[in-house]
Amino acid sequence: MPDLRDHEHEFQRLLRTLEPRTAFAEVFAQRREGESVSVDSKSVTAAKSPQLGGFAVRAWTGQRWIETAASAFDAGAIAATIEEIGRGLAHGDGSSPPPGPSSTTVGSHDAMPSRPVRDLGTDRLVALEREVFRWSMSVPGIVETQALADWADDERYYLNTTGSRCYQRVSRVRTGVVPIAIENGRTEINFYDSGGIGGEEILGAMTEERARQTAETAHALLTAKPPPTGPMNVVLDPGVAATFAHESFGHGTEADQFVRQRSYLQPILGQMVGPDFLTLVDDGSIPGAWGSVYFDDEGHPGQRTTLIDHGRFVGALHDRESAALLGAAPTGNTRRADFLSRAFVRMTNTLVVPGDWSLDELVREAGEGVLLERWSSGMEDPAGGQMQLKVQYGHRIEHGRLTDLVSSMALSGSVLEFLRSIRGTGPSRSFEITAGMCGKGHGDYLNVGDGGSYLLSRALVGPA
Amino acid sequence: MSADGAPADTAFRVADRLGGLEGPWDVFAERSRLYEIHLNGLRVEMVRGPIRLEGYGIRLLRRHGDVLGVGFQASTELSADGVARTVSEAETVARWSEFPAPKAQLPTAPGPLRTFDILDPTLERDAAGALDAYVAALRGAFEGKADAVPSFGSVKAIVAETTLANSSGVAARYVHSMVEEELAIKSFGGPEGRPPGEYWYTGSERRLRPEALPDRVEQWIRCARDARRAASPPSGNLRVVLPPEVLEAILPGVIGFKFTGAAQLRHMAPEIGTTVGPASLSVVDDGTLPWGAGTTPIDDEGTPRGSRPLITGGQVSALLYDQLHAGALGTTTTGSARRGSYFHHVPGRRYMGRVAPSSSTTVVAPGTGGTEAELIEAAGDGLWVQQIGWASPEAATTAFGGEIRLGYRIRGGKLAEPIRGGTVGGLLMAPNGGPSLFHDLEAAGSRPVLCGEVYTPALLVRSMTVAGAGSGTATAAP
Repeated sequence: MPDLRDHEHEFQRLLRTLEPRTAFAEVFAQRREGESVSVDSKSVTAAKSPQLGGFAVRAWTGQRWIETAASAFDAGAIAATIEEIGRGLAHGDGSSPPPGPSSTTVGSHDAMPSRPVRDLGTDRLVALEREVFRWSMSVPGIVETQALADWADDERYYLNTTGSRCYQRVSRVRTGVVPIAIENGRTEINFYDSGGIGGEEILGAMTEERARQTAETAHALLTAKPPPTGPMNVVLDPGVAATFAHESFGHGTEADQFVRQRSYLQPILGQMVGPDFLTLVDDGSIPGAWGSVYFDDEGHPGQRTTLIDHGRFVGALHDRESAALLGAAPTGNTRRADFLSRAFVRMTNTLVVPGDWSLDELVREAGEGVLLERWSSGMEDPAGGQMQLKVQYGHRIEHGRLTDLVSSMALSGSVLEFLRSIRGTGPSRSFEITAGMCGKGHGDYLNVGDGGSYLLSRALVGPA
Repeated sequence: MSADGAPADTAFRVADRLGGLEGPWDVFAERSRLYEIHLNGLRVEMVRGPIRLEGYGIRLLRRHGDVLGVGFQASTELSADGVARTVSEAETVARWSEFPAPKAQLPTAPGPLRTFDILDPTLERDAAGALDAYVAALRGAFEGKADAVPSFGSVKAIVAETTLANSSGVAARYVHSMVEEELAIKSFGGPEGRPPGEYWYTGSERRLRPEALPDRVEQWIRCARDARRAASPPSGNLRVVLPPEVLEAILPGVIGFKFTGAAQLRHMAPEIGTTVGPASLSVVDDGTLPWGAGTTPIDDEGTPRGSRPLITGGQVSALLYDQLHAGALGTTTTGSARRGSYFHHVPGRRYMGRVAPSSSTTVVAPGTGGTEAELIEAAGDGLWVQQIGWASPEAATTAFGGEIRLGYRIRGGKLAEPIRGGTVGGLLMAPNGGPSLFHDLEAAGSRPVLCGEVYTPALLVRSMTVAGAGSGTATAAP
């Protein structure tokens, strides 16, 4: 099988050519391919996802970064890149180094699983999804279901003029089901999905029981009551708490926002922001988690970075530049969506560390309010410190007990007030890491894991 | 000329390598150059480009009994071996896929393509230079602004050559451009000692418009200043005015699925003739609108684009089809095939996506509501929602909603204090005349604006549910 390291000689020659003209240059090469399968009542859709391959070259002019990229590895593409970068370097100060430490890491992780989904073949993958489809459709009232699975092999090779060479190859696998219930013109959907780095074993997360439960909830939503509105006690299910960790808090800890003086969190670094039982981390080194990386795309190893330590806001996520400007070290969080996209500070797996409250205890403690379940989206506001989390459904909490099913809703309010109002976090047995896609600004979608268990706080709830 | 000045015609070269491949097949290809400038404050932080991407997707239609196998594979491998591998993968996929179309049919040659305004000539000539000049003008527009700067931003310009070939003789080519702009403007200083406020603009259009910058920068700065002093909205059912920027975040996400053959095939589309709004409501899908983000001479499988009324006089009048869904449903294509997902219709990357029917540019017919000031006056008491964090429209249920990033109370028919936080949401369409944005449409303004994939005036909605932490509640007039 072709390997990006087969091109090492050309990439090294490219870097050697640029070296006299710049204090630093790097090559990021990537190849990705995969497959997706989807089954519904009318069609079976299978598609090989793009065989996407190419490389980006980034160099420091003395004042700024310049970058080009090409979707080919041939001599013509490399020559064009040298010419284009060379033109950009012509007016720079080639001797001045870029801010921050340049990686000298050398390493290789070929993490292809023992049972790659690729080896299943399209036929077996289709057969598996037909089964998931049948499980969901067997629930009375479900008129349509989409059962889907996909895998993607992602190969990345990073090299720079300070000697770093980091190779990694992983396979990401995801499975999901979307049951749809329609009655009297009203349509309701629910979904379940699960994903990680690995092989066929990840598809095992989709059991008959999960598919049926997901479908039963979709059907029950046809008669769900409207959600309550206004400020109230809220219990977040593990997926919603995980989305809070990423969207609401995590984006504000990306230190490129500190450099721009754009994060509401920057002035309170070192201060208590939540109860002493609250710990929140970003961890790119969790084996098999959806957002894990062996190396980031500046050649720094993936690692665990504590953001909130027992209630105190202690850390941020850095690339080389923010680390240099803020007196910190890179944290292995510089990521590219692909070779066509820029490298900047991104999360990996962002988690609320679980506590020791059971769901029953959290609901009892809440007294009156709502349990928010099945996250569907979140939106960051690193400058203003506001939050938006949207969920597919939930249950009212009345007199310390879960009561009526309620339909989709959004949670909003101040992140800092939400953190200060946290009164308990759920146990590790409820902890899960979801498989999400994160955009930062306009696009640049990449794989991120969000983790959490149940969580009790107070926020504003409204329709969505 | 191709996107980079070289003879490209990617799809034609790939088609030549298919030899005697059995039809039906099509090859959709894009060859693009992307340029970006990133700002940190007013400083240029990074210059990217050219980012050169050339790729294609091969689709094969294979009959298995009474269903059609649709094989699709996208690739950047253009060598003879790479194309052969791509075909082989697509054949494998075709064996296992099933689509209920009775005939395997693709469009025939459309004849000479009409030309549309979809390519910025300055970007075609010198994209890097044009982008550089635009960013210089953008930075210049902030000169002398004592209390506001961009905290970060980026401007991206893409020039893409699209080529399409199929086994029925289609060999089409066009070049188009897209500009994506993102700018966070921070307002600070002033006597009140409040923390900085921010307005975060994102938008896309087909051309650079430096002449619009002075007015736009003034508006962004005004929004950033207002965000500083904004308070939470009240809770209740309120009259709400939604400007085109907010409607752009709602309409394509729902209409792009709900009004298509893909939804009809799965019993999720509205029936033709269903009343979904007042008689004043008319919505058209227009793939020919000058400078429209969804405008192209042909759709993504080779049928000429056109315009199609989706809602006429408040009633559903038509749906959108590509060739395969039209075949499955016993009708004809409306030239509405699109590649890529709702989030990824980005020129240059569309070749990666499978074909499905979807909307192009959604046009809401102007009404008699007059100017935005007149709509506000008609609202009397309510909210103007300037920006929602993410409206996250749900195509199947038509639900949408999110946090209010910036808005204004409307009091006595005039814009009053700014608001921020809380949520607004609901359904775009509801069964049986239930509450929804369309059903509760009270008035459409008279001045439509092109905004991303919509061309619409501001809309006054009689009642939408708002949840806020502000004091008091408000209720719409019956």
